[in-house]
Amino acid sequence: MEIYLPIAELSINVFLLLGLGAAAGLLSGMFGVGGGFLATPLLIFAGIPPAVAVASQVNQVVANSVSSLQVQWRRGNVDFRMGLVLLLGGMIGSSGGVWLFTWLKRIGQIDFVIATLYVVLLSTIGVMMLAESLRTWAVRRRNPEAPRGKLHTHYLVHRLPLKLRFYKSKLYISALLPVGLGFAIGILSAILGVGGGFILVPAMIYLLGMPTAVVIGTSNFQILFVAANVTFLHAATNGTVDIVLALLLIVGGVVGAPIGARIAARLPGVLLRGLMAAIILAVATELLVQLLRTPVSPFSLGVREVLP
Amino acid sequence: MSARALLLALGIAMACPAMGQSPRVEPSAPAVPAVPAPVLPGGQPLAAPAPQTQDAAPPSVPLAPATPDLVVDLSLARVSITSAFQGASLLLFGMYDPPGEIVVVVQGPPARETVLRKERVAGLWLNVGRQRFDDVPAYYAIAASQPLQRLLARGAGGEILSLEDRLATVKPLGDRNPASLAQYRAGLVEVKRRDGLYPAAIGQVSIQANRLFRADLPFPSSLPEGVYEVRTYLLREGRIVAAIQRPLPVGKVGFNAQIEQWADRHGAWYGLAAIVMALAAGWLGGAIVRRL
Repeated sequence: MEIYLPIAELSINVFLLLGLGAAAGLLSGMFGVGGGFLATPLLIFAGIPPAVAVASQVNQVVANSVSSLQVQWRRGNVDFRMGLVLLLGGMIGSSGGVWLFTWLKRIGQIDFVIATLYVVLLSTIGVMMLAESLRTWAVRRRNPEAPRGKLHTHYLVHRLPLKLRFYKSKLYISALLPVGLGFAIGILSAILGVGGGFILVPAMIYLLGMPTAVVIGTSNFQILFVAANVTFLHAATNGTVDIVLALLLIVGGVVGAPIGARIAARLPGVLLRGLMAAIILAVATELLVQLLRTPVSPFSLGVREVLP
Repeated sequence: MSARALLLALGIAMACPAMGQSPRVEPSAPAVPAVPAPVLPGGQPLAAPAPQTQDAAPPSVPLAPATPDLVVDLSLARVSITSAFQGASLLLFGMYDPPGEIVVVVQGPPARETVLRKERVAGLWLNVGRQRFDDVPAYYAIAASQPLQRLLARGAGGEILSLEDRLATVKPLGDRNPASLAQYRAGLVEVKRRDGLYPAAIGQVSIQANRLFRADLPFPSSLPEGVYEVRTYLLREGRIVAAIQRPLPVGKVGFNAQIEQWADRHGAWYGLAAIVMALAAGWLGGAIVRRL
């Protein structure tokens, strides 16, 4: 069944979009990340213009994060102070990111930048996660009772100025680091159409040293507002948010998420992370191949401007 | 008079199937009726000096007398882009006084197009060159009752342009050497052709009873909006003896039109609505799923 998308201006199979949403939801249920990093490239592969794919996918992230936040909030797993500090950077970064996106689109380089950023990010994270899960697996096999490492081994964080006390996270660190982290994630969110959880969550654990329990809730808190900001700015400046596309992705995601959560509950954590790393690396490889392969035609068209 | 009687018969014959397969006709279609009226306005001859006043006049009383040699109508008054739109095929039909040959030229609204060219840089393919062209038709298709070359070779009136001739007149912006410009122009045709907007083949105008003609006009799903122009020419011995121009509006209708208009004119409110929609859907979805 085909549907014509009013903003993307093309007709596409409904079930393909629902399936994409479900796949993203599955990932978010399994790993607690948004799945946008998978859905956006796949939407672009399916022929949706990158600008529309990014802006509509970010709208889906709003829905996804609010439904995760619902649970985390009730369990009291949100560090609001940390969330607000992250958000300060996130708002600035995402606003700048939308501006950067508009500029890149105008000079005709946005497709290339999106693809390159995805390849670099996904391959780095994929390799890191794969190495980590292989290492953990090897250690566990040798010595199942291995003691956990120290929680805090960061020195830079403790030396920077503007230190703040984060009670819930049991941290006393410079506010500059979370602000900078939020800023970087905000830019990525605006350009790549992701919530950024797949970077934010490991960064909060390994870089800021936050306790794992509050990481998911706090990152969802920041992602919700950043994604809303990106949606708003893309709609207001570029007019590229396709509500029909977003709604189909959301509906798919709602169905996929609980299935993912159920699968995750049955699998051991190491295997889960290894699986996630494999998926990330597969998407990165496909994107890289697209950049390297000789295109069918070297020509493409930019934005069509109707002159008055 | 006999021409009029024949036209009436044709109109009735064409109207029935056209009505059956055209759920997309808007009730509020423009002044031109969707189904041929017994007395056709048939568009106006290109030479007619006062095309603007035609909208005000009731369709049954054309200000300029219809060209007796050539009468044309379309199966739909407009191409409506609905949620189920997957491209459209319009039937153009009409009647002419023999002898002669028929050529139909459909042209989309002109706009500025930017052609981007990729090149391999350090192993990666990225856009390195861009060339803008003004006055590029969104769509361009020709249908003819005989191979076009043969019709035009006899020194046809310069008005009928093949795609190549039409594109030779697009205005490039900036300075670029002719060889490179020709490459970009070829690239433009290539991309448009891939999207089905510049059909490579000349369409067939089929003639029946030496008087009636019909042609199918194909439109792809990725169709730019605007007012298209459908020109029908009657040629005798390679010269244009009659021509009729009809506007063909192409646009989104109903829900799609509202969404686009809203996104276009009130981007901020549209953005807020998108956020509220996502919040509500996410919240509800989450709540429902947890109950299951």
